[in-house]
This record gives sequence, C-alpha cells and structure tokens, in this order.
Amino acid sequence: MRDFTALTVAGRHRRLRKALPLGILAAIAMLALSLPVWSDVGFSVFSFFNTFQNAATLGLLALAVGLTVMIGEFDLSSIAIFTLGGLLAVKFGEASPMSGIAIAVAAGALLGAVQGGLLVLTGISSVPLTLGGYIVILGLCHIVAGEGILAYGNYDIGIWLDDPVALLFSKRSLLILAVFLLLWLAMRFTRLGSTIRSVGADRRAALASGVSVSRTVAGVFILSGMLCALGGALFSYSASVAKYDLGLDPFIFAVTAVLLGGINVSGGRGNVLGILAGVVAMSLLDTIFIQLAMPTYLIDLARGALLLIVVLIEAPDLARSLTAWKAGRIGAAQAKGRDHSKPLANSGTG
Amino acid sequence: MFALQLKRVLLPGFTTVTALLILWFAVTTQGFFTLDNARAILASMVFVGMVSIGMTLIMVSGAFVSMALATTATISAMIFMASLSFGLPVAIALTVLVGALTGALQGVAIGGWNANPIIVTIAAAAVLEGVAVAFSHGATINPTGTSYTVLNAHLFGLPVGLYALAVLALTAESILRFTRLGPMIYLMGDNRAAARAAGLPIGRIGTAVFAIAGATASLAGIFMASFNHSASLLLNRGTLGYDAIAAVLIGGAAIGGGRGSVLNTMIGVAIIAIVSDLVLLRGFTTGEQILLKGLVMVAFAVGVHLRQEQRA
Repeated sequence: MRDFTALTVAGRHRRLRKALPLGILAAIAMLALSLPVWSDVGFSVFSFFNTFQNAATLGLLALAVGLTVMIGEFDLSSIAIFTLGGLLAVKFGEASPMSGIAIAVAAGALLGAVQGGLLVLTGISSVPLTLGGYIVILGLCHIVAGEGILAYGNYDIGIWLDDPVALLFSKRSLLILAVFLLLWLAMRFTRLGSTIRSVGADRRAALASGVSVSRTVAGVFILSGMLCALGGALFSYSASVAKYDLGLDPFIFAVTAVLLGGINVSGGRGNVLGILAGVVAMSLLDTIFIQLAMPTYLIDLARGALLLIVVLIEAPDLARSLTAWKAGRIGAAQAKGRDHSKPLANSGTG
Repeated sequence: MFALQLKRVLLPGFTTVTALLILWFAVTTQGFFTLDNARAILASMVFVGMVSIGMTLIMVSGAFVSMALATTATISAMIFMASLSFGLPVAIALTVLVGALTGALQGVAIGGWNANPIIVTIAAAAVLEGVAVAFSHGATINPTGTSYTVLNAHLFGLPVGLYALAVLALTAESILRFTRLGPMIYLMGDNRAAARAAGLPIGRIGTAVFAIAGATASLAGIFMASFNHSASLLLNRGTLGYDAIAAVLIGGAAIGGGRGSVLNTMIGVAIIAIVSDLVLLRGFTTGEQILLKGLVMVAFAVGVHLRQEQRA
C-alpha cells in the first residue's frame, strides 16, 4: 500500500507534508546559526534558552489549537481562554500558586465543555460558536481584571519556574515539553491518536467504525481549554503580571506554528511532535528577529506574511489553479489527478 | 434526538423571549425613549452597518466571515485623512480603491484557491496593520483642510452617513437580487463543488465579493475618520468587526453560506445598535458590554443554525 501511494501524486504530497515540519525547522535553525555570517549579531547558548522560553509561553496554546484543527474544528476562543487562565491564576494564586493553576485549569475545562457540548448538541459550525465564545470570554477577562492589569506579588514562583536547567531549559519549558511528550505518547500508543484523526478526516466513516464522535469532539474541546488555561497561568506566573487582552498576535503565532507543524487545516492529519517542531521553529524565528533588533511592527508584518504563505500552500485549490493556468484551460486541469478536499473545508468545519 | 427536542422547546420561544427582554430593558431604562436617543441609535448604525454589508456578502458566498474588515476600515480612515490634500473626491475614490484592492487580493486566495478564510483574513489584518504602522509610525494622521466635514453634516436631522448607508444597503441588495452576480454568489455559497461543476467562475465571484466588502469597509473608514476629525490605529480597538458579524448572524444569514439578505442584516445592525445603546445608558462596564454582545451573538448563531436545520 505504502509503495503504491508513494508513486501517486497524493502520496508524494503526503511525504512532502510529513517532511515539512522538520525541513522548516532545519531551515530556520540554519538561518539562526548563519546569523554571524551576514549580520553583526550571533547566536549564543542564551539565545537558545530564550527560544525555548518563548516556545514554552505559547506552546500549549499552539497544542490546543492544533488538537482542535486535527478533529476538523477551529477554536477561536483559545486565545481568550489562555488570557483568562493567566488572569485567574494571578488573582487566586497569590498565596498558593497550585490552587491558582487549579482554578484556571478548571475554568478552561468548563469553558471547553460548554463550547464542545453546544457544538455536539446543536451541530453548529465551530467558527461562529467559538467566535461568540471568544467575545464572551474576552468580556469575562475584562471583568476579572477589573479593567486593569493584575500584578502577581509572588515573584519567587516566576524566578523558580524560569531558573535555567542544564543551560538550555527552565522548569517551565521542561514542564511544557513534558506535556507535549505525554500527549504524543498517548496518541502514539493508545487509540486516542487514531480516534482523533479519524474524526477529523471523515466523521461519518468514524461513526460507522464505532468511534464516538460526540465524545471525541467534546473531549478535545475540554482538553484544549485546559491546555490553554494552563499555558496562560504559567505565562502570567513567569511574567508576574496578567493583562485582560493580549490581542490576536499569540493566536497568529499558534496557528502558524500548527500549520508549519504539518497539520492540515481541514483536519485528520498531523501529530503532536509536528506541532512542537512548528512551535520551536516560530520561537527560533522570533529570537532571530530580536537578535536583529527588528521593530515590533516588522515582526508582526513578517509573522502575518508567513501565515499567509503557509495557508496559501495549504489551499486545496491552489495546485488546481496553477495547473489550470499552466494548461491554459480548466478542462485540462480537471482531467488531471488531484486529491479531493472535504467540501466544507473552507468554513473550517466538517 | 436530544437536539431535536431542544429545538422544539427553544425555537418558537427564542425570538419572542429575546424581543421581550430587549423591550423590558428599554422600558426600564431611563432616557431610552427620547428623540435624541433615537437619533443617537440611528447615527451609531453607520459604521457597523457599512462593514456588515460586505460581511453579509462574504457569508452568503460561503466564506463565513472576514476578520480583516475592521482593520481595513481603520487603515482606510488613515489613507483618507492622508490623501485629503488631493481634494475630497480624489481622497474618497483613492481610499475606496485601496480598500477594494486589499479585499480583492484576499478574495483571490479564498474564492479562487479555497484557502481557509478565517486564517487568510487574520493574516491579512496583521499584514495591513504592519504596513499601516510602517507608513504612519504609529502617529495620528490629521486632515488637511476641512472639506471632509461635509460628511458629518445633517440632513433633515439625520447624519449624511445614514443616507449613505441606506443607499449602499439598497445597492448591495440589488446586486444580490437583480444582477447576474447575485445568484452566482448564492449558488457558490450553497454548494461550491456544484457551482464549479456548473462552470461558474468561482475565483472571480469570490474576488468580487471580497472587493465589494473591502470597498464598503473603507467607506465605513472614511466616515469614521470624518467623525473623529483624525485617524490612527487606535480606531481599531473597538468591537466594530465583531458587531458586524453579530449583525449578519442576527439578520439570519446562513452560517455555511447560500442564504441571507443585506436588508435583514440591517435589522441586525439596528438590534446591535439598540443593545449597545441600552448597555451604555445603564452604565455597564466595558467588560459587561463585551460579555453581553458575545452572549447575544452565541444565542443568535445557535438559534439561526437550529432554525435552518429545522427547515432543511
């Protein structure tokens, strides 16, 4: 089977997509290492430490976005849950950081359960639902923060979390790495992985083969909410501060990392280590930007442009358009072999 | 099964309950039923209304929403203020042209290549904002001359922008109903594969839809700039884009595409304006206002979805 698919165009595409995350990571790493050659700055051990710190900050957000994309949904509220998690942890975790994290994660699970539940019960598309959810949770963030910035007085926790371990890592980045590895192991060696991918690839087929689609969708939304809240909580402990609105920039980072990680926008494909590779690649890119002292707007511009490029490469009909353009006529293009995308892929849901 | 029961119980009461709730709020809010407040509500419809016209076309075409229209309006406001030195007509034409062009580029990717609309428009918004900062250095742009104040004028007690909104809404509705493009937009939204199979130029339809949306958003930007007598990226800090999406959903456009009307969206715009006015009069905090708008949006998105399921 594998030998056969390798010969087809679709098979070649699949192989290319599998190699993409590591390829991009390698390319960006080369760019980082070659910095001294074409600029007057270079990469030190500390730059790599910073890269992993940056990856730790938005890693869980990207993981959450990636998991929902894998089941063929799109969770716009994830960035708001990340923000809320940070605020709740700071507000309730002054005396006991663990209880702050517990409250944040519980809130994330609850919000994930409400949205996942509504999704399953009504069959509504996840984009309008989670867009509404994003706005509701943004309102909650304003209310929790009391229209201001919450400062976290327990500095020791932030220092403890970010203290370097083995030069390159911190307890925070190792913790987040552990979450990735744990989830990767669970998806690799239990039925979780195949269940999630089958729900993303074809709901009806998954249902027919005995997969509980509703439970999987609701479960992934709960998990995603918990991961976002945990990520936000750890980030605010590390920064000793929590803001009520982080804007869409972290979300752009997460979505780009997910797409670079080889996750298909229409679901059903990808794995956790791919997301990790995407996150590290994006963080490495950010470190390069900082080393070069690029102004913020240029960094945002570059990130937006990168996301545009990645999503265009993903576009189901781009290859078809190019072929049609080459052949000069649509008829010729349609005769060619091509993979069929799900009809609803463009609205972000199945 | 459970969902079916849920529909039977919830749907008939949904509209009535919402209407009664808004009415009750209105009656118990001091200063709501005054002529001045009615004028204020109508005036506040202009910006959201113009953006939501384009948003309606996008949803009907099956691309769901654009997350870039509020940013398009903001940078249009800046372009308008900066180009006023060429005279008002040129400034308006140039601004609308740039708005339409940025929309069209996104439309090529979304309509023609079937790229994910949410991601493309979020990325486009980031790029647009980056370009705006590059040119303005984050500064506020002030107008040359006062020619733009004609856009703030009042006619029979109502702002000029409201008449412009009415003309735009009627034009967009006519495009949907009476031109060849209209039915093609509906067909593409209803079933992209079928539209392609029928030989419709879906790339060009998508491009046209997003170009129109970019143009209406830039008109909103022109009126925003005139209203504020200046323009900066700070104009983008409100909930303009989300309000427009909520208005389209309240207007009953199908989330998946293929159904919707600009005039119904205008009813949604009016409801959003009334709700915004009520929460403001009642002295709700920003957080509470945002929360309430989000809840209204979720309620309508779910309600409209269930009603369409029932019809199907």
